[in-house]
Amino acid sequence: MLFMHETHKVIGRQAAAFEDMYRSEWMTALARTDDARLVWYLNHAMGSGPAYQVVTITALADGAAWEALAQRMLVGDLKDLLTRLDTSRYQVEGKLLAPVYWSALQELDLAEIPTDGSEHDLSVFMQDTGWPDAPLDDYIELWDHDYWHFMRQIPPERKLLDIQACFQVAHGSGIRPEAILMQKIMNFSTLGNLLTSVEVFDDPTTWPGSYMIKGLELRDQWESKLLRTSKWSPLW
Amino acid sequence: MLFVHEVHKVVGKAAVKFEDAYQNGWMPMLAQGSDARLLWYFDLAHGSGLAYRAVTVTAVRDGAAWARLTERMASGDLKAWAGDLDGLQHESVGRILAPLEWSPSVGSFDEIPTDPQEHQPTMYMEDTMWPFPGKVREYIEAAGNIYQKSLGAEGSQMQMHIELALQSMPGAGRYPEVTLMQKLSSLQPLIRLLTTDIPQEIVGPGSWMYEALDLRDQWRSKLLRTAVWSPLQ
Repeated sequence: MLFMHETHKVIGRQAAAFEDMYRSEWMTALARTDDARLVWYLNHAMGSGPAYQVVTITALADGAAWEALAQRMLVGDLKDLLTRLDTSRYQVEGKLLAPVYWSALQELDLAEIPTDGSEHDLSVFMQDTGWPDAPLDDYIELWDHDYWHFMRQIPPERKLLDIQACFQVAHGSGIRPEAILMQKIMNFSTLGNLLTSVEVFDDPTTWPGSYMIKGLELRDQWESKLLRTSKWSPLW
Repeated sequence: MLFVHEVHKVVGKAAVKFEDAYQNGWMPMLAQGSDARLLWYFDLAHGSGLAYRAVTVTAVRDGAAWARLTERMASGDLKAWAGDLDGLQHESVGRILAPLEWSPSVGSFDEIPTDPQEHQPTMYMEDTMWPFPGKVREYIEAAGNIYQKSLGAEGSQMQMHIELALQSMPGAGRYPEVTLMQKLSSLQPLIRLLTTDIPQEIVGPGSWMYEALDLRDQWRSKLLRTAVWSPLQ
């Protein structure tokens, strides 16, 4: 399974129209096939980074499904929608992601993904993107052994993040080496502590243990984005 | 056919090993199957931009063939090669491109050399354009009808022609984005372009340079030199 990850730089005055096109046209157009589904529609939380940026993630059964969808957009039935989306944003950056071997998310039953736009509470994800200066596989293994194993053992009442998926960029569709964590924020007050209590969280003996120090052997550059689902995002 | 275009930020001290990994690793390993072929191995000409940048273009038959290649690199027989390459480059930035409807063809997939003879390097000007929002189709059409034809016209300012005209596939790069792989047949017009003001008749009203500003005003040119063993020249 592949995941088409797109970061949209939206024209501010067009933000509502842009979201509506994804909700009422993109999601439903994909629902007419059995090999592609919109899974997340996420707004980059204002106050935490760039304004008017949207992240969408579309699940695809395989490489042929991606090519078929792309051709629908370029020359097929989604051509007009692509043009209208295009006029509502400055640009879009896309990459194709594949789950790493230890990711909790591997396959989705596309038939089970909601496509009716039903509304729900909002949730916030911390999307971490890391660029190691070591072989990519070493970095993915570090996340497995020193981060994922640690984080999953934290009891629910203390858990800040639920690591729902981990991806690497599929060949030739973005940056290598790069890997991405999709982490649902489980406790907003703990997030507040993370943002405001630098001394505590910089202590290598606490969160998340020695990982912060060991990780520096492989990378010292990453970016966290706080992404808030829309109220109708299929997954949240 | 799809095209995987990668810009590699090579570790300077490992530049020879990096090129060798493509000549004696990637190219022959792809040749053992029928999904993909290395087309071009370029060096960005020193003195014209960033140092130690290599550009590779690999053709894949279709999306399914690309996905198989991805799996081979992530967990199959190409995993070790990809891991070794990580030590020879700081990073690579890739995108997957589809030919424009008016693009020349690179020929039959099966005719792409996999054991090429050495030859003189060839210079390319690779232009990448970012049309204004909603203007990409209009730009593509105009580039085919006006710009491409002007390159082939008698008295053309630049002696070059388009080998391949491409746009990024949705979900696999920046969109909208158009890339032209343009082969230079003579260096003199390039030197003139670099060292003299562009004549008014080239940039004034009625010219491609002027009128196309309604469709885009941002692009980037790279001067790329083929390796002597690059399958395509």
